[in-house]
Amino acid sequence: MNREYQLVLHNDIRQIPELATFVEHIANEANMDVSTALSVNLALEEAVTNVMLYAYPKNTKGQVDIKASILPEKIRFVITDSGIPFDPTEKEDVNVDLSLEDRPIGGLGIFLVRNIMDQIAYCRKDGKNILSMIKTI
Amino acid sequence: MEVQINGLTASLIGRLDTPASQETMEALAPLFEQADNTIVLDCSQLEYISSSGLRIFLMLRKQAAAKGGKVIVKGIQEDIRKVFMMTGFLNLFEIED
Repeated sequence: MNREYQLVLHNDIRQIPELATFVEHIANEANMDVSTALSVNLALEEAVTNVMLYAYPKNTKGQVDIKASILPEKIRFVITDSGIPFDPTEKEDVNVDLSLEDRPIGGLGIFLVRNIMDQIAYCRKDGKNILSMIKTI
Repeated sequence: MEVQINGLTASLIGRLDTPASQETMEALAPLFEQADNTIVLDCSQLEYISSSGLRIFLMLRKQAAAKGGKVIVKGIQEDIRKVFMMTGFLNLFEIED
């Protein structure tokens, strides 16, 4: 039987440490090595931070729902929010080979999610953004 | 997350995640002002960094380039080195063991 976990946060970045504890727990349950656990944690932080900072209008409380499923040899994470439609899979990738002068300051968050996760998929359903990510372990 | 400043060296201790980035940026303000020198970021006790932390590194590096200084990143741990590699940061900084 698959093991399912859930964490509900709000659009408040001060809650990011709760996400780190949640991911750490799943990493332990899935017997993930420390290095993979750290990068998965990073990808989750980036994806969730993006929702917390940009999905909802300022001064509006909004929810971020994080589900994790431990499957054979992989973990699936699903992040759901009811904010403005945003498809991170369509965002243009950052060029990491640019020189210092040409290098923009931002844009690395989604780039890290894409690079760390093995699969990433987005859909908009019933007024919600649903981002699914799979990490092979 | 803790930042200890000693002259032109800043030791970053702990987890530089999104919520810690603002206070880290504030703590590093004196080094931004002295970016015409060689600044050392001692990362030997830095356990984790997210894009908001990388942003600070890059801003400091750009400031140093504009003022004729440089930034040395010292003692980064293996997992953070991987993040630096992934994001092309290894090419932007002087890395020392």
